[in-house]
Amino acid sequence: MIKNYFKIAWRNLIKHKGISGINLFGLTVGLTSCLLITVYILNELSYDRYNKNADNIYRVTRSFNNKDGVVSLNLSTVAPPFGYYLPTDFPEIQKMTRLLDAVISPLRYKEKLFNEKGVFFADENLFDVFSVKVLKGNPATALKDPFSIMLTEESAKKYFGEEDPMDKTIRYNNKFELKVTGIYKAFPSNAHMHPNMLCSFNTLRDTAVYGEENLRTNWGNNSFFTYIVLPKGYDIKNMGTRFPAFIDKHMTGQEYVGNQPSKMTKLGLQKLTDIHLYSHTDYEAEPNSDISRVYIFASIALFILLIACINYMNLSTARSVLRAREIGIRKVIGAEKKELIFQFIGESVLITVVAILLAFGLLALTLPWLNKLTGQNLSTGILLKWQVVVSLVLSPFIIGAIAGIYPAMFMSSFKPVKTLKGFFKAGGAGLSLRKALVVTQFSISIILIITTMVVYQQLHYMQKKSLGFEKDHMVIIPYNRALNDKYESFRTEMLANSSIKDATRTSRIPTGRLLDASNAATFSGDSAVPVNTDIKLVSVDYDFIPTYKIKLLAGRNYSREYGTDTASFVLNESAIKAIGWKNPENAIGKEFKYDDIRGHVIGVVDDFHFESMHQKIVPMVFVMFPSRVSFFNNLSVKIAGNDVSSALATIESAWKKFVPDTPFEYTFLDDNFDKLYESEQKQGTLFTTFACIAILIACLGLLGLSAFTISQRIKEIGVRKVLGANTGGIVALLSKDFLKLVAIAALISFPVAWYAMNNWLKDFAYRINIQWWIFIAAAVVALLVALITVSSQAIKAALANPVKSLRTE
Amino acid sequence: MIELKHISKWVTIGGKPNFILKDVNATVNEGEFLSIMGPSGSGKSTLLNVIGMLDEFNEGEYRFFHEEVHKMKEKQRSNLYKQYIGFVFQAYHLIDELTVYENIETPLIYQDVKSSERKAMVADILDRFNIVGKKDLFPTQLSGGQQQLVGIARALIARPKLILADEPTGNLNSKQGEEIMNLFKQLNDEGVTIIQVTHSEKNAAYGKRIIHLLDGRIEREE
Repeated sequence: MIKNYFKIAWRNLIKHKGISGINLFGLTVGLTSCLLITVYILNELSYDRYNKNADNIYRVTRSFNNKDGVVSLNLSTVAPPFGYYLPTDFPEIQKMTRLLDAVISPLRYKEKLFNEKGVFFADENLFDVFSVKVLKGNPATALKDPFSIMLTEESAKKYFGEEDPMDKTIRYNNKFELKVTGIYKAFPSNAHMHPNMLCSFNTLRDTAVYGEENLRTNWGNNSFFTYIVLPKGYDIKNMGTRFPAFIDKHMTGQEYVGNQPSKMTKLGLQKLTDIHLYSHTDYEAEPNSDISRVYIFASIALFILLIACINYMNLSTARSVLRAREIGIRKVIGAEKKELIFQFIGESVLITVVAILLAFGLLALTLPWLNKLTGQNLSTGILLKWQVVVSLVLSPFIIGAIAGIYPAMFMSSFKPVKTLKGFFKAGGAGLSLRKALVVTQFSISIILIITTMVVYQQLHYMQKKSLGFEKDHMVIIPYNRALNDKYESFRTEMLANSSIKDATRTSRIPTGRLLDASNAATFSGDSAVPVNTDIKLVSVDYDFIPTYKIKLLAGRNYSREYGTDTASFVLNESAIKAIGWKNPENAIGKEFKYDDIRGHVIGVVDDFHFESMHQKIVPMVFVMFPSRVSFFNNLSVKIAGNDVSSALATIESAWKKFVPDTPFEYTFLDDNFDKLYESEQKQGTLFTTFACIAILIACLGLLGLSAFTISQRIKEIGVRKVLGANTGGIVALLSKDFLKLVAIAALISFPVAWYAMNNWLKDFAYRINIQWWIFIAAAVVALLVALITVSSQAIKAALANPVKSLRTE
Repeated sequence: MIELKHISKWVTIGGKPNFILKDVNATVNEGEFLSIMGPSGSGKSTLLNVIGMLDEFNEGEYRFFHEEVHKMKEKQRSNLYKQYIGFVFQAYHLIDELTVYENIETPLIYQDVKSSERKAMVADILDRFNIVGKKDLFPTQLSGGQQQLVGIARALIARPKLILADEPTGNLNSKQGEEIMNLFKQLNDEGVTIIQVTHSEKNAAYGKRIIHLLDGRIEREE
């Protein structure tokens, strides 16, 4: 019997090529989108699961509170003494391993000299905790000896080419020789961090590098990624409740945390597998994703699938008239209702099976596009898990059943006498449901259009909003401390060329995050009054404010002419407000203490966007304490816009002259700036793509439905024409009904879209207000598309010769 | 076999009942060949549909092999006609997407006959109707007479006791029509009860008994 059903289903497919084509195309595109999104989501959910122990590994995090108890800073890294004491105080810790980012380190092998990112100091037991494959060398001992280094295959190739790197030495920071003791397979793309090189942690114990003492006592250097392995099924609350006592026991004598350090700083544990989707600390190894993104894309996938299913339902019920006779015959010769239901569901399952097979082909073709867009290395291989395979095999049956159930119920209830006698009229049958389905489709499409527009508006706003400083023609070079003593002459040398406008050294640059802060105090008479709000610190030199063209509201900039400026402060306006000073002028000359330097406020700058628009502008202080010179990490050079290459050549030749042993590498600030919004940009592109797909499928459905409805009204059109109706009138008559549906869809979608986008915008400290015209524009777009779709059919019908249509009827 | 008592059927138009069948009484015995005649709109097709249990009636009693059809649920009724009745239509009503073979086979599928048995039964009837050579053709590739032949083959395949034929020759030319009528006669001789609706006196004459309908009533019998 099933064979019979499939046979007739197949022949039906072939016979009605147009409608089958629309159905098949819609379902295929819908399913392809779903598969793409499924691959993306599965990848998001797979982060760090490659580890054998994935479920038992935790990362130790640290947060800081303001004096008023508000969390001011949350880090995914902790200070080294925590790692020193944790295993002894918590015997349940089975293993602990640490990684420290060496930030940007110049590495050299023979003539090859690069500023290497992704170099990490790593504990010798790293490979016990993380399941990374060691290709050469002994995983148990390769990271044991100080001054050992392990490379990925890629980085080995970069420095050594075809040579065997084992036991060769790489020069690190122009100071130390590191011996290559192993090669490991790069961390998989779905890992939350990707060290290119691993330097033995024991190297840090050398006083010339960091020092044993520091590892035990430096509570302020919170840059150590610390991972622990706990027993299976361990309840981490147990450790959490003992952390405060642990902190109070060991962090004694730390001035900045007072008598009860556990009030000011807290430790936490994050499950390794939660890091990628749930961790949003202020400092992460690499930018993470977010679980909400998974939900958003999952809903888009479901929406698109729903639209495609609705197409199927709509077209099938509309077309059922053509099959009424067959249904009647089958009933008369003995078919029962349930057998007919089974037959029609079988048909939709068949078409879904065909669609899903095509979708797999399309998936293979479109995956490179998604990879390019998301910067991921997704492959269809991720689908090869038994759970996924089972659901994929079942999906055509489920989707087919969902899409087919209504048409099946609808058609199987036809009365044979009527269908066989030709009394059967399509008109009213299932019409209101079809209308509701069209409304649903267009509501979804309009929501997606509005969403896309809001995303782009916000993106445009962030990129065009005045930052309060000049970001163009700014070259950023990783600063090298070898320049410290010769900096003034280096600067003079560069400025001698007219293509170089100005240059400055800073600890952090705009587009980065502000993570450094220290204690601040004002003075009432001679007694210090602590400032309760965090004031973020940037170490600068004389030229920071003019180089970035930041506006001074009061006072003056640091100046080479004042000897006392090493104990002076420049604050931003937010800091003035946070401290409680009346206005910028009022602040000038006030006594102020930051860290352990006491001095006076000499200038106040206008608030500017140091961080991205996601962050509110925070209170900031710019200092140039002599002790902070070693904190410079960046050199910003403002160049003339007309000849970039000669400006770069000038900087490079000066650099090579003063610090020949360090690589010259640079970025442009505006590129960094664009990177801040890369994820929104990608989101925007994905939204646009899927919104277009959604509306395309919806329109195909509308095309099929209107073609069908119009064919049912051919006689009416003929009669009207004979009675004198003109083409325009008929097109209007035929289009009106459909456009009404789109208008209703618009009204339904407005509040939904508004609510969703309002929520989305909450992530941004600086955001647009959603404008009313966006809604109108989206509705107009949908109406236009629908109008074009429907009227193409309507015009054809209206132009037809009435004699013909009346005769065929 | 069939016993109709005071059967009436009406539709309400503008508040007034409009009778399609009015107080129809009839008895049909096994082995009969009955023709129903009457002008257009006299209710003959409706009567046939009522007998075939495809249509409902508003009033009266209908017994089929002593079972009370008027008291049955739809499902029981359909089980009943599946078992005993074969239908033949004026417009043949073959399924266009199925071949001749498949069209004839379909009723057996719905009666859960085993595949091997089905094959034998279909082969038998194809042979008997001399259409073995046409079995893989689709209905649209056949002439009207051939299509009706297939229609009758399909009606007979499940070995019904009763054949209901609604103007079986209405779409055929006279030669084809004659062949179909002879086939009916032959079937009747073999013991199959036949009720046909027809316009043509000549075709009606094949029946052993004729009922004349007018405006939903039995006008006369001969």
